[in-house]
Amino acid sequence: MVDDQLFKSSLLFSEQRLCYADILPPSQVRARIEVAVLNFLRILTSPGRPAVSDLHLIGRRSRNSNVGSGLVSGGLWIYLSKEVTKRSLGRESAAKAFVRVWKVMEMCLRVLVEEKRVTQRELFYKLLCSSPEYFTSQKQVNRTIQDVVALLRCSRYSLGIMASSRGLIAGRVMLQEANQDVFDCSSCGSSGHAIKGDLNLLENLVINTVARYVIVIEKHAVFQRLVEDRFFNHIPSILITAKGYPDIATRLLLHRISRAFPSLPILALVDWNPAGLAILCTFKYGSIGMGLEAYRYACNVKWLGVRGEDLQLIPEESLTPLKAKDLQIAKSLTSSEILQDCYKEELSLMVQKGSRAEVEALYYHGYDFLGKYLAEKI
Amino acid sequence: MEKTTDLDDPQRRRTHLLRKIKDFTRSIVGDLVGGRSPEISINKYRNYCTNSDGNCFCSCNLVYGKEVLALRTQCQVHRIDVLLKVLAIVQQLLQENRHASKRDIYYMYPSVFREQSIVDRAINEICIILECSRHNLNVVSVANGLVMGWIKFSEVGDRFDCISSPNSPHPVPVHVEEVSDIFTIAQYILIVEKESVFQRLANDQFCSTNHCIVITGRGYPDISTRRFLRVLVEKLNIPVYCLVDCDPYGFDILTTYRFGSMQMAYDAKYLRLPEICWLGAFISDSEKYSLPSQCLLPLTIEDKKKAEAMVHRCYLHSEEPQWRSELELMLEKGVKFEIEALSVYSLSFLTEEYLPSKIRGTRRLPGSQVQPVNWYAH
Repeated sequence: MVDDQLFKSSLLFSEQRLCYADILPPSQVRARIEVAVLNFLRILTSPGRPAVSDLHLIGRRSRNSNVGSGLVSGGLWIYLSKEVTKRSLGRESAAKAFVRVWKVMEMCLRVLVEEKRVTQRELFYKLLCSSPEYFTSQKQVNRTIQDVVALLRCSRYSLGIMASSRGLIAGRVMLQEANQDVFDCSSCGSSGHAIKGDLNLLENLVINTVARYVIVIEKHAVFQRLVEDRFFNHIPSILITAKGYPDIATRLLLHRISRAFPSLPILALVDWNPAGLAILCTFKYGSIGMGLEAYRYACNVKWLGVRGEDLQLIPEESLTPLKAKDLQIAKSLTSSEILQDCYKEELSLMVQKGSRAEVEALYYHGYDFLGKYLAEKI
Repeated sequence: MEKTTDLDDPQRRRTHLLRKIKDFTRSIVGDLVGGRSPEISINKYRNYCTNSDGNCFCSCNLVYGKEVLALRTQCQVHRIDVLLKVLAIVQQLLQENRHASKRDIYYMYPSVFREQSIVDRAINEICIILECSRHNLNVVSVANGLVMGWIKFSEVGDRFDCISSPNSPHPVPVHVEEVSDIFTIAQYILIVEKESVFQRLANDQFCSTNHCIVITGRGYPDISTRRFLRVLVEKLNIPVYCLVDCDPYGFDILTTYRFGSMQMAYDAKYLRLPEICWLGAFISDSEKYSLPSQCLLPLTIEDKKKAEAMVHRCYLHSEEPQWRSELELMLEKGVKFEIEALSVYSLSFLTEEYLPSKIRGTRRLPGSQVQPVNWYAH
């Protein structure tokens, strides 16, 4: 890779260790691919010692992850550092993985030249037909795509790979795309407004709001209930959901809103179980899986509900036992250094009681209860 | 007695249903006062059977049996208890004109209900007893479908304008009975099984060059999506085409759109689309369009079991025998393929060649009426 020594030396120490995948325009991605090819050829044909060079990818394991803290914002986030893993032609077992990375790069280059996008499934079929001896399953293709992201340090989206966005937004916010009318998210029917998967579009969205809070909601059903009850008219707010673990587009939009309106508190409404807390943490700190692409989108999210102190509102029968998967998630969360102590306490309470509760359990007290509960907590 | 869904005005419908609930409860109380066990008779419906001699009347929405609940066994007593509790909740929903999901209802009395499936069954039974559709009881679920294209409509007072950006997805409305003021210049409706195909069409700007409405249920379509399609077909009178993967699950989704699901058999009249035309994909397409052999994946054991079970459904014998032959051909050849495989040679193949040629090739009878049966594209 072409390194700019002067630029690098002027970065702060922590930032020098930081690695990320950019959202780049197609021309730059093509340039990076071409540079990779040229470097490889240069070493292969060097007059003194020709060699097949290894591919250096940013390591995507937890030992390469670090916690960064903003000097100004004070928030924490997870990022991946410079430790590399290698794909090399030398070792027989890993030779195919080496070739796969090149094949995916080639296919992505072709797609970019055509100025189109592909889905991961379409990419799988293309690779299956062009190089059947190297690609046999969708999982392999997905892993190789992650390798290319780690090698070229550009996001999947820049490589031309389409992803659907699961997010929805509603409330007192106005969004405007380039050359389009302003869209008012408070008159969006009962389903909310779909967040598009086009990251470029989201980067250039003009956002205006009179809301006083942003509420991130784990589940689609809860989001729909609040939209239907027009919660944002009682308390001026913006409601966002990613229907589970957040995708990049939703995190990007949330991050943009938080940057554009830094005084707007971001509150999360998740189920009282380890998975809910894990979702909250993904919004708040990021994740290792998306560490390269989405490290910047961490936001300061506060845990509004459901919390341990609300358990008195929920009848015993509405609590369900924790499953094995929940305990696993709880264990990995408690062992992470980034989690703050009061969250760890709640986790241990969950494990101790051995039960979990969903937000809908609050409906025991009637339909409007959820709105009142939220209003009080806020 | 007039069927509840024939009443157009929602206010009248609610009053009518509340009256029915009162009458029903009065008759039960009358039985108890008189020292008799109340007998609740629930009609059984189905939309197919495996009897292939053509003598069944599955497609005529007729009752094929009855189940009678009485205070005889412990299990039946519990079922009546659940039924009455759910009925009380529904009555409150109708009186206050609020909506709730099945999950919300479960959380009202979790100790009595014990499981979500018990609530689901009670809701279906109430629909059968009161002779209405589920949404008439104000029981709704989240909207899972997406729509894009040349259509504008209103829902709950909000205006949805898909025409301003015909290649952007919008969620399908939840309260389909409140959809009004539909305006369209679309020439047909295209249903696609998967969201990824929907994305491909959006990315290729299919709706810019084709004046149509594209809808996806993202897999098995939910009730809102099917009802929305039903409303569109009735109001707009334009052809409906369906594009699914060439595999048993795609075929099952196609039959769900066409005939409805077994679970909702009591409401099938409002949830099925006899006008639907199966556009693709067919096994014969793989030869016609020279699909590489690697794209033809072998049928798994589950695939074969599913296909063999579906082949015996009576409606395939009586109403769509050509569909059955296609399924049998798939079983015979033992292979399947997905729509994404069509993008192998060229990403725009689907939008620029496959779909237009299929749509051109559909046979039409003179006049504006679309022939409902024995009709599919080749």
